[in-house]
Amino acid sequence: MTADSLSAPYTVEFPFERTVGPKIGTFLGGLRDGQLYGVRTARGVLCAPLEFEPETGAETGELVPVANTGTVTSWTWVRSRPGDPVPHDFAWALIAIDGTIGALFHAVDAGGDSGRMATGMRVRARWRAERVGQLSDIECFEVAS
Amino acid sequence: MTEVLPEPVTTMPNPFRMDYTYVAGTGRSVFLRGLAERKLIARRCAGCGQVYLPPPEFCSRCLTELDAPFELDGRGVVSTFCVVSFPFPGQRIDPPYVVAHIQPHGAGTRLMHLVREIGPEDVHIGMEVEPVWVSDDELGTSLLSIRHFRPVHKGGADA
Repeated sequence: MTADSLSAPYTVEFPFERTVGPKIGTFLGGLRDGQLYGVRTARGVLCAPLEFEPETGAETGELVPVANTGTVTSWTWVRSRPGDPVPHDFAWALIAIDGTIGALFHAVDAGGDSGRMATGMRVRARWRAERVGQLSDIECFEVAS
Repeated sequence: MTEVLPEPVTTMPNPFRMDYTYVAGTGRSVFLRGLAERKLIARRCAGCGQVYLPPPEFCSRCLTELDAPFELDGRGVVSTFCVVSFPFPGQRIDPPYVVAHIQPHGAGTRLMHLVREIGPEDVHIGMEVEPVWVSDDELGTSLLSIRHFRPVHKGGADA
């Protein structure tokens, strides 16, 4: 009976803006400047930063520049869709930035070949030429071996 | 460290966008095709007597198939309403304007639509309204075939 049914495109869209705290704000400012930052905590330098430690509620400390390379700790392969950061199939991954604790969630461009993906693989940030202070200032991470 | 830190960012865009395909279903498609002909098509449940506008295929209370479609004239009463005073992206009309739940005469359900040709301060619950249809070339299988509802002026033969 689907032939009897009308259908139409339907888009739900909300142009939200959210405020960020001082630590994440500085982290985003670093992205705009092409430099990753982490935040000092009792456990080590946390990247991506948080305003407060989840377990103790303690305020996190000063921001420090960190490397733009890291190690993939987990990943999932996806098909590229309109609006995605990579124009061909790619991986969403958790990336442990070198010298930090925590994980940064971002896209990894493996040239469309999921066979190049592995946990433990080395990746490097690919920066956009025009940056505005958003996580998308890193276009994606690319294989760095 | 005496590093000069970047100037902090204070806000970040956080857009939410989902692209769907809306599938009306067989029952509601009858209603939508009716709108393209300036008809409001309802169906009654033989089990409980509920009249649905727009009608699905099955009664949501009895789960039985609804009776044959029939037409309502679209006049009804405002059962509740709100005055939209807030601008937002994609808005079709300049605020303030009135959006109402309208219960058409003969229907057990309500339609949501605009109430215009009256000041927002004069709209009230229980007032009788009638549909104003768009011109022939604008008619389509959509509730937008009704431009808005307006107060029924008793005895008035305005067209």
